Formats: sequence, C-alpha cells, structure tokens
Amino acid sequence: MTEANTPAIACRKLWQVFGDGAEKALTDALARSGNDADKAADLLRDAGMIPAVQDANFEVHDGELFVIMGLSGSGKSTLIRCISQLLSGTGGEIRIDGEDVRGASKKRLTALRRQKLGMVFQHFGLFPHMTVTENVAYPLRVQGISRAERTERAREVISLVGLEGREDSFPRQLSGGQRQRVGIARSLAVNPDIWFLDEPFSALDPLIRRQLQDEFLNIQATLKKSIVFITHDIAEALKLADRIAIMRDGKIVQIGTPTEIVLHPVDDYVREFSKDVAKGQHAIVSSVMREGETQFGPDDPGLQTGMTLDAALAKCMNLYEPVPVRDSSGEVVGIVHPSDLAAALQVDEA
Amino acid sequence: MSADEQLTPHALTHLTRGTQVALITLLVGALCLVLEPLVPWLVIWPAEWVLPATDWVGAGLKWFLEGIKPVARLFSELMRYPMNWANAALGATPWPIVIGLVTALGWYIGGLPMAALGFLGLSFVLSSGYWPQSMNTLALVAVSVPLALILGGAIGILANEVPRVKSVVQAVLDVMQTVPTFAYLTPLLLLFGFGPVVGLIASAIYAAPPMARNVMLGLERVEPEIKEAAIMSGGTRFQQLFQVEIPSATTQIMIGVNQCLMAALSMVIIAAVIGGFNDIGWEVLLTMRKAQFGEALLAGMVIVVFAVIIDRMSGALATERKRHDRRVVWALVAFGVVFTALFWSSLPNASEFTLMDPVAGAVDSGLTAFTQANGPWLDALKNNSMFYVLLPLRIGLDQAVLPFTWGFAWTPAMSYGLFAAGAVIAALMAWRGHATGGLMVLIGIGMLETGIANLPWPFVLSGTAALGWVAGGRKLALMSVILLSTILVSGLWERALLSLYLSGAAVFACAVVGGAIGLLSAVSETAWKIVRPICDMLQTIPLFVFLIPVLMVFQIGEFSAFLAICAYAVVPMIRYTRHGLVNTPDEMMEAAISSGATEWQILRDIRAPYAAPTILLGLNQTILYAFAMLVIAALIGTTGLGQSIYLALGQADVGLGISAGAAMAILALIADRMVQGFAEERRQALGL
Ligand SMILES: Nc1ncnc2c1ncn2[C@@H]1O[C@H](COP(=O)(O)OP(=O)(O)O)[C@@H](O)[C@H]1O
Ligand SMILES: [Mg+2]
Repeated sequence: MTEANTPAIACRKLWQVFGDGAEKALTDALARSGNDADKAADLLRDAGMIPAVQDANFEVHDGELFVIMGLSGSGKSTLIRCISQLLSGTGGEIRIDGEDVRGASKKRLTALRRQKLGMVFQHFGLFPHMTVTENVAYPLRVQGISRAERTERAREVISLVGLEGREDSFPRQLSGGQRQRVGIARSLAVNPDIWFLDEPFSALDPLIRRQLQDEFLNIQATLKKSIVFITHDIAEALKLADRIAIMRDGKIVQIGTPTEIVLHPVDDYVREFSKDVAKGQHAIVSSVMREGETQFGPDDPGLQTGMTLDAALAKCMNLYEPVPVRDSSGEVVGIVHPSDLAAALQVDEA
Repeated sequence: MSADEQLTPHALTHLTRGTQVALITLLVGALCLVLEPLVPWLVIWPAEWVLPATDWVGAGLKWFLEGIKPVARLFSELMRYPMNWANAALGATPWPIVIGLVTALGWYIGGLPMAALGFLGLSFVLSSGYWPQSMNTLALVAVSVPLALILGGAIGILANEVPRVKSVVQAVLDVMQTVPTFAYLTPLLLLFGFGPVVGLIASAIYAAPPMARNVMLGLERVEPEIKEAAIMSGGTRFQQLFQVEIPSATTQIMIGVNQCLMAALSMVIIAAVIGGFNDIGWEVLLTMRKAQFGEALLAGMVIVVFAVIIDRMSGALATERKRHDRRVVWALVAFGVVFTALFWSSLPNASEFTLMDPVAGAVDSGLTAFTQANGPWLDALKNNSMFYVLLPLRIGLDQAVLPFTWGFAWTPAMSYGLFAAGAVIAALMAWRGHATGGLMVLIGIGMLETGIANLPWPFVLSGTAALGWVAGGRKLALMSVILLSTILVSGLWERALLSLYLSGAAVFACAVVGGAIGLLSAVSETAWKIVRPICDMLQTIPLFVFLIPVLMVFQIGEFSAFLAICAYAVVPMIRYTRHGLVNTPDEMMEAAISSGATEWQILRDIRAPYAAPTILLGLNQTILYAFAMLVIAALIGTTGLGQSIYLALGQADVGLGISAGAAMAILALIADRMVQGFAEERRQALGL
C-alpha cells in the first residue's frame, strides 16, 4: 500500500456494456447525450446493447467492508468482475491501490492476482479433480511454489476456515457450507489485500448462512482486508457492511452506511429493500413520531427520539394510548401511538 | 374453412404456409406428369445437359493429390515404423500375457465384471483361431487411435482458444459426419498406395471428429466460475487450460475417447475392403465371398467381442471414478507371465486353436438346413416385400404392376382412377379442415404412381424447397435447392434418387417399427429391460458385421441391404422415442392425472406432444445412420450412390468416389437440416 489516503479501490465513470462494438457505441452515446449517463444508457438500450454497469463512481477504503446490493440482474456480478478484471470494462477507470488496472497488461494482471487479489464465487467454483488441499494450494502452485511449502500454507488457511480433517476430500464429498469454506480458504491462500466475494452465502441454507456470516466477520476482524462483498439480501448487507452501495438496472442509486440506507432511502426502490429488514434494530423512534402533537395518555414509558423501534416497543407492550417522546434534553417533542410502532415493525415480518 | 372457399384465388393468401407450398409442389408435379409426352426433359434431365463435373473433380483432385503425394508417401513411410512395432509387439507377445494384461486392465477399470468380460472375450477370440488376425487389427487400432486422439484433441482445443476458428471447425465436423466412410478411402488410396497405411490414416481421420467434438463440448461446459477461479488464482492461460479446464472436462473428453475408439475400430474393419493386410475385417470379407457363412459369422463375432470389450472398458473409464486394487492387477499380469514361462515349450500357437471350427461347421450346416426347411416362406417374405413394396416405391405402380407378379397389368385408366380417389380423399380432408394433409395425400399418391426413381426433377426440387422453407425458412430452402441442383447437373441424379428411395424406405420402416418399439418400451418397463441390451449391442457392433446375418439368410440383393440398413438405423428411433415419452416432467403428469386423464389420454395428449422434438431428433439420427449404412450395404447389392462410391474405390476413380460421396453428404445434410428445423420449431412451440 502506498500513501494512507490512497483508496484500495477507486472506480470512476466505470461502464460495462455488452453487445457488438460496445466501446464505440458507448463513446457515441456519451457524446450524443452530452455525458449524461442516464440518457446514454437509454440510447445504448435502444441500440440493442446491454449497459450492465452504468457510470459507477465509488471508492473502497483500506480495511473497509464495502457491500454492493441489488436485485438479481442489476449488474452486481458484472461490476465486481470489472474490478477484478475478469471483464475488461467498456469505459472509465478502475484503480487498485492507485494503479490503473484497466490499462494493465495481461502479465501485470496475472501478477496482481498472484499478489493481492482473492475472489470467492457464488457457486464456489471449486476444481472438481483436486482435493481440498490441492484446491486451496492452487493459487500458490501456479506461482511455482514448492509442494511442501504450499501444502503448509494451505493447511494454515484450511484451519482458519475450520475445515481440519477434510484436507484430502474432494469437493463432491463436501456439503455446500464446507465447499464455500474451501472457496474462502483458496481465495485467502496468497494472503491478498483485496478480497472479492460475489454472493458467497446465497447458495446456502439460512442456518449455515448465518454461521458463515459470523465466521466471516471474525476472519475479517483479524485480517482487516479491503473487501467488496456482493449480496441481494438486505439483512446480510446491514449485518456485514461498513458501507453499502445499492444498484438498480446497472446504476448505483445510493451509497451509505447501513443506518443511512435504512433511515434515508433516496427513492422507493431502496425503501422497498429496507421494508424487508428488521427495521426495529435500525430505525429509531423519530421515524414514527408525530411531531408537535401534545395530546397523550396517562402513561409515560419514557421514550426518546434516538431509541430503536425494538426498544420502544418493548416499553409500550401493554399500552394503547399515545405516549410522549422526549429529546435528549428531556423536552417533549412529539407523541407516538403504540399501534404505529407495531405497524412499523409489522411490515418487516412480511 | 370450407372447400370451395379455398379454391378461389382470393383465399390463397389466407392459406397457411404449409398448405401454400404443398399446393405449389402438387401443381409442379402434376404439370410435369401432364407435359411429359411433349417435353420429356421435364422428367428426365437430358444427358447432353450434364456437366462432366465428376471428371473435373477427378482431374482437380488428382492434380492436387499428386502435388502432396511426396509428403504423403514420406508420412506413410514414417507410419510404417509404429505400425510394425505395434504389430510385432502384439504379434510376438504370447497370448497368455495378452489375456492377462487385458484382464488386469479390466479389473483396474471396472472390477470383477470388466475383468471377466476381458478374460472371457479374449478366450473366445483365442478359441476361434482368429487370434493373429485380431492382433493385426488391434495393432492398426493401437496406432490410429493415438493419432486420432492427438488430432481431435488439438482441433478441439484450437477451436476453444480461437473463437473465430470455432464456427469453421463446427461446420467441417458437421460435413465430415455426413461423408460416407468409403468416400474417404479412394483419395487416400491414391495418396498412400495400397496397403494397411490407408486403413490406418482413414481410421485416424474418421475417428478424430468425435474426439474434437467432445473436447470442444467439454471445455465449453466447464462452469464459468471454475474458469474464473483459475484466472483469479493467477494462472497463465496455459495453466488454466491444462491444470483446470481440461481436467474438469474429463468426463466429456472420455466420452470422446470412447467414441474415437469405436470409430477407429469400425473404420479399420471397413478399410479391409482395400485388402493387403491380414486382419479380421479381411477375413470376414473373404469368407463372405466364399459363402462360408459359418466362418464369416465366427469372424464377425470376434469383431463384436472386440467392439464390446473396447466400448465397455473405455465407457467405464468415462463414467466411473473408482479404480480397483492394484495388487490384483499385478497378480493377474504375473499369472499370465508365469503361465507362459511354465508352459513355454508346450504353449500352442494361437492360430492353431480350432475349438470353434466345429461350431462354424455346425452353423454352416444348420444354416443350410434352416434355409432348406424354411426356404419357401423366406423366399415368399423376400419376394413379397420386393414386388409389393420396394419395387413399386422405386419405379412406381405403373411399371411395377405386372401380370407376372401382381396378376394384372397396370393401365392408364387405373392411374386416373387412383388420382380420382386421391382427389376425393384430399377434398374430404380439406373440407374437414386438414387442407395440408389432403394435399400431402395427393402428392403421396402421385409419388407412388410414378416411383421415387422416376420422379420429375422439377417436382423434387420444388418439393425440397417447400420442405426447406417450412422447416427452416428461405435460407434453408435456397441452400437445399442449390445443393440438389449440383447433383442434378453433375449427372449423379438418377443414382441419388435410387439412394433416396432405399434409404427413404428404410427410414420409413425404422420410424414405424422403431417408434412402436420405443412406445412399447416407454409403457412397459419389462419391454425396455429386453430391448435395451439389444439396442446397446446393435450400437456397438461395427457396421460391417450387420451384413453377415442378412446375407446368410437372404443372399445378395436389395432386400438384404434394406434389412441391414434397418437393423442398424432403427436403434436411435427406439431410444429417442422412449426417452422423449418417459421424460415428461412429473408436474405435467401429475396435473394430467389429477385432471382425471386415462393412461392412454395422457400418452396422446401430454406425453406425445412433449416428446415430439426428441422423437424428431431420433428420426434425424436414424436418417444419418441409414445413409452411413447405405454405403456399406453396397457390398451386398444396392444400386445408387453407395454402389458408385464402392465401384470408384475398386477402380481408384477419385472423381467419381468424391463426387458420389459428396452427393451422399448433400442428401444427408439436407435431410439433417430439415429435420432439425422441424424439431426446433416444435421445441419453440412448446417453449423449451
Ligand atoms: N456476458 C454477458 N453478455 C451479455 N449480457 C450479460 C453478460 N453478463 C451479464 N449480462 C447481463 O447484464 C445484466 C447484469 O447481470 P449480472 O451482473 O449478472 O447481475 P447480478 O449479478 O446483479 O444478478 C443482466 O441483464 C445480464 O443479463
Ligand atoms: Mg450475480
């Protein structure tokens, strides 16, 4: 890593367009629309192209866990594949630790992958003809590292992901959760600085998923990598992310911390997502408070504006009349109907 | 729609595409028949109009082949070494060791069943007395297969790496699939001269495409994420390909190896017609020519045994991962060696075994007794099929109906009567809403009256265009007509029609019989248990061997050829029909059952429509199989293109051999594209 303020990953005006002659079409479309991304995308669509990533601009800082979220088909995989240069990108700029990778040679890319990139795939992408150890050691094998040395390193990462004892199994003999552990171990074998994960837990059962999420957080707590993590599951995003980018139809519509996303969704698309989460843990009383009203009942359970909905509801369990809400200084600033509280959480269950 | 409405010109535009083209075809055919007395060239393409294309092709090819001949001869000199080594190695190795090795290999690949197969199979070969000839054949295969594997593998990998090459390779492989086996041999004969090298090269060329195909398919089907994982691991392209992609595609590639082996064996045996090599194929030919059917059958059985051993073992290699205990392998090999050493002085020469000779003799005499006992009804079967089915199909009722066979002579009045009856049926069908069907009936009657070999060429061309247009649009129609026209102007037309007649008859028979058997196998699990091994067997047997039994019972002639073609080509029809019918999605079946449909209704309304595309693909395979066998069947008496190719081989006439081969390929290609087109249309209609 160079200077402290160089972001691990920086994307500027990044486009990925699918179709014949995409590059020229993009240049034309941008020229005709006067560099307006939305108009250019429409022009491209009219020409039968697929603008899978449109004008993506964001940075991922050192040690940050950056989550990209969106419905399926919104371009998440395409975006992460541009950054990891599995797709070359059609326009714009991608810098990894300040180095422009879109212009990099094949050789340089191979070197980069050997030194500092690791990737985990939704369907694991394990090599069926190799054992767990061989899979995990493969990134070292291509560099010509001796068998003894790479096996040694492989064992380390295998125990990091808790797969001791399965070293000599083949992928087909493992469960889904175990397979993804192998995928994770393999991506960590070269001890990369930057870690790409494309929906790593989406193919797993909910219970296993939660377990792996927790272990993933533990690993990240010790390793402190710069991470791009993709998911379509808002709960997963909120649980893991330092920051979240929300994608729709190839566009990044909002970037923010989990709280920002839940409390200040920029549009209905983002709001729809947050409807599906346990808002109680992320939203606070002020979001359902009737500001300025002072007509409340005899009970005062002591609500404050900054309390989460869950906490507030716990205090109003047996109440049916409006209760007062105070700000941090103790002043009553509004009221809350307990039924509103319940209603706000009710949607979440659906 | 009512009948009179359709006859007005205004209604013509409202007809479906199929009805329109059927109507046009019918009109063209009728016009040709009516005008025949006035303008005979409408029916038979005049000889003066024939371009000497065959000679041109011959001259051009000869010039080209002479040019590369020195290289070829050098190559053939080089190939002589590995061939001699393989020959010497297999010939000189004492038979107990060979048997021990094959048994050990069988054990290693597939455990006890495979070991038993290897042991019993080779023991049979040994006892037949054809051991030396078999080893010669095996030596050819042993050299040609590595060549084919390398060639096919390299082509497959190249196509995978260079996307631009891919479509070209695919097209070439498609064409090669349709070029009949014998057609390869003539130019090779010119290049390499008589001798086993021709068989070797031909079999390598013939066996490479299946390998290339499967390598391409296998690499294509490697999960994208596995490919991406290899890239992200920092592998170079070379590492990605050889360490990850090819190993991940092993199963598919092993299927390629299996098909490659079978193709090589089949071709090596066919190449025996060139002669000059004392191999097992030659033995079959020789005994067949001498009418020693017992011996021919025995030699044929030896070929079948080899085919089964090679197929099952390489098949097990593709499907089973488990490898068996090596200690047993060593024990088996050691046993072979020790056995040899112990009995060295008294070890009989492999060619001296005559255990099976009595069997061959018994078969011969049994056969004579059988044909004598059943002669009348066998003859009746053959003659009736010829006189009442095949011959009318070929030359038409107007020529085939003779007092000598049918008991009366065909008169023009009968033709008119037939057409009138057809018209009535067609009108009735049109009135019931089946206008296209009615027209087809009328066309069919016309064809029956004229005979396929005598069909007017404008009718054939317009009919082909019509079918092509319905099946695959304007492009297919145009391509078919252009390709057929090249046959027409190059003077191979009549032979092409003859080939079309025989393969058409065989395909029709296969469709009916195979469809029925497939249906039965789909309904009854017991039937499938019986039918399945038979199908497996028929698909393993090299083409050549099919000729032996039909020849034994029905002698040389068109009927024997017809039977051989049917026996070989019926298998895909059975398999695909059953597969299509059985694989109806459970949900659909459950929906039908809960709607209260009976078994029969489910079959008719749910399974059959759903299976239609699959069955059409089976028909497609059956057509290709029939064409492939048609050429081989030339050995026992067919007319047409197959015969030309075979004759060309005998006279080393490259022009005729290649032209006739190309004509066969054209027919097969057109049929293939059309049936695929129909299948695709059905699939789209079902939303698959
Ligand atoms: N190789 C490709 N060629 C053409 N279109 C593609 C390709 N890959 C993805 N797309 C299209 O780009 C869009 C985004 O796909 P993807 O990035 O896979 O979405 P996500 O990962 O968010 O589900 C989809 O409409 C998809 O059809
Ligand atoms: Mg995706």
